[in-house]
Amino acid sequence: MSFARLREGGPLRKTVILVGLALFTFWSAAPVLWLIISSLLEQKALIAQPPDLSPQNFTLENFSTVLAAAAALGRGIANSLIVSLFSTALALVLGAPAAYALARLPVPRANGIAFLILATQMLPGIAIAIPLFIVISKLGLIDNVLSLGVVYLSFNLPIVIWILRGFFLGIPSGIEKAAAVDGAGIFATFWYIVLPISLPPLSAAAVFAFVEAWNEFFFALILTRQQAQTVPLVIAQFAGQYQTVFGQMMAAAVISVAPVILLAVLFRNQIIRGFADGMMKG
Amino acid sequence: MTAIEIRNVSKTFGNYTACRDVNLAIAEGEFVTLLGASGCGKTTTLNMVAGLEDASSGDILMGGRRVNELSPVERDVAMVFQNYALYPHMTVARNISFTLKMRGVPSSEIKERVEKVAAALELSTMLERLPAQLSGGQQQRVAIGRALVREPRYFLFDEPFSNLDANLRLKMRAEVKELHQRLGVTSIFVTHDQEEAMSISDRIAVMNGGRIEQLGTPEEIYARPATRYVATFIGSPRIELAAGEIGADGAIKVGAAAIPLPTGAGLAPGRPVDFGIRPEYVALGDSGIPATVRLVQPVGPTTHVTLDWEGGTLLASLPGFVRLNSGMPVKAAIDSRHLLIFDRQSGERLSH
Repeated sequence: MSFARLREGGPLRKTVILVGLALFTFWSAAPVLWLIISSLLEQKALIAQPPDLSPQNFTLENFSTVLAAAAALGRGIANSLIVSLFSTALALVLGAPAAYALARLPVPRANGIAFLILATQMLPGIAIAIPLFIVISKLGLIDNVLSLGVVYLSFNLPIVIWILRGFFLGIPSGIEKAAAVDGAGIFATFWYIVLPISLPPLSAAAVFAFVEAWNEFFFALILTRQQAQTVPLVIAQFAGQYQTVFGQMMAAAVISVAPVILLAVLFRNQIIRGFADGMMKG
Repeated sequence: MTAIEIRNVSKTFGNYTACRDVNLAIAEGEFVTLLGASGCGKTTTLNMVAGLEDASSGDILMGGRRVNELSPVERDVAMVFQNYALYPHMTVARNISFTLKMRGVPSSEIKERVEKVAAALELSTMLERLPAQLSGGQQQRVAIGRALVREPRYFLFDEPFSNLDANLRLKMRAEVKELHQRLGVTSIFVTHDQEEAMSISDRIAVMNGGRIEQLGTPEEIYARPATRYVATFIGSPRIELAAGEIGADGAIKVGAAAIPLPTGAGLAPGRPVDFGIRPEYVALGDSGIPATVRLVQPVGPTTHVTLDWEGGTLLASLPGFVRLNSGMPVKAAIDSRHLLIFDRQSGERLSH
């Protein structure tokens, strides 16, 4: 639905669409809003039925408490950044050439290979958790940030390959033929022509992979102890055995989602274009 | 001297044969067009000459050397593509200079050569723009510039004007022809537009079903088409053919009507033929075969008149504007020296 067509519609049509969009926006934004509000409320006001939202109950105390005990959260954020950046960067570095080869080079059974790559993602996490745990503990790599990063890479790589392959298949082949006539070999064509025009899908794939790694809880729980704990685990620890300090938990959550939201806002145009291209041409 | 030679070249994709046994010799400095409907193998042939596709069998020679295994760069060809195929993320200057960069030309020389080409193509003011900020014609000029800057031995054009509107197409056609007259670079041009092929080429190869049906100058192709296919493909308006039989009295018989054969045609009576005549050799007057006017289409210098007669449809191109109405009975006089007669079975031309 373009805005031009929205403008053309009658007042009723317009109202219906706008109400629908408003509901959808509320639906998407409400959890985030509630997260922010509850991180700013005193515990008493927060657990009151209904929550007491009067202005005097708002405080920054949760944030100062969380930041005062910053060691755990700080380490969690650092670990998450390392794991996410590591797995994202590697997924792009390995995935882009793989996707290009599967899209354009005379690889025998390219479609079959691409399907196999996707098929690795069809097993539920729980099915591979135990073998994965055994392998990694035998290697002595439990509670290691990079080994967690490698596990995330194994989830991210197939997704990156599929997003990029869909886009590469849609590039008009004339451009690559022109590059061949201009004297560019496969690597020069990939580097000078294909990668620069693939920035939107590359950004989309990067953000997707980063968020996947940043949010992951299950494998992080199994494969880390203390040193390599990521943000989601640190936040979960605010739920104590006898008492859950919701306000602090929410404050920690706000701090931890900030980078992801920032990323999404910065790259929103690229992300939308990247996913739209992949869908139409893939 | 032969610049490019295609010898018994075939190309198959799985079960599909795109080109079968294509033979073509192009002289140094010649401008040859591969003309045909879509799927006739013309672009595949061009791609094989360019080195973008491998020939399944046969040899491609350039400058007397077999080049089948050589890359496009080693063949020293430059190509202009149908959809321009400009690099969308590069400025005009970088689009034109990319090939020089790939060849390691020093940057001071690159700048000089780009500016020279840009000046020749009236692109000097647009060097810092992106392709998306240019009109279709300007984009096509950039694509030509990209080919030109290399100073290649051979130019290849793959339907370069098919995305342009009619006016621009005529303009670019003239520009390319002038360019060829000025530089004299051996060129192969691919198009499905017979008028474009006629107007731009030294020689035309009409392709059909993966084969070259006829190779000749525009005049030969038009006036003496080798086959029924070539006769109907070339010429606008299209020639209309009728089915008849050679009579004992030196005429083609169609029902009750008889069309006199040119003298010395030497065709055996009783032979089934398809025949037709280019519209400009049909006149309306007091004598000739009886016909009825179906459609009158004035186009300025001529008027195309569609006639119904015993053999089917007949077209006449008459000079200027004419006073005729549909339904009018007329007599169509046919200049039998220009009669095109084809064997019914083989489709090959029988008349001289």
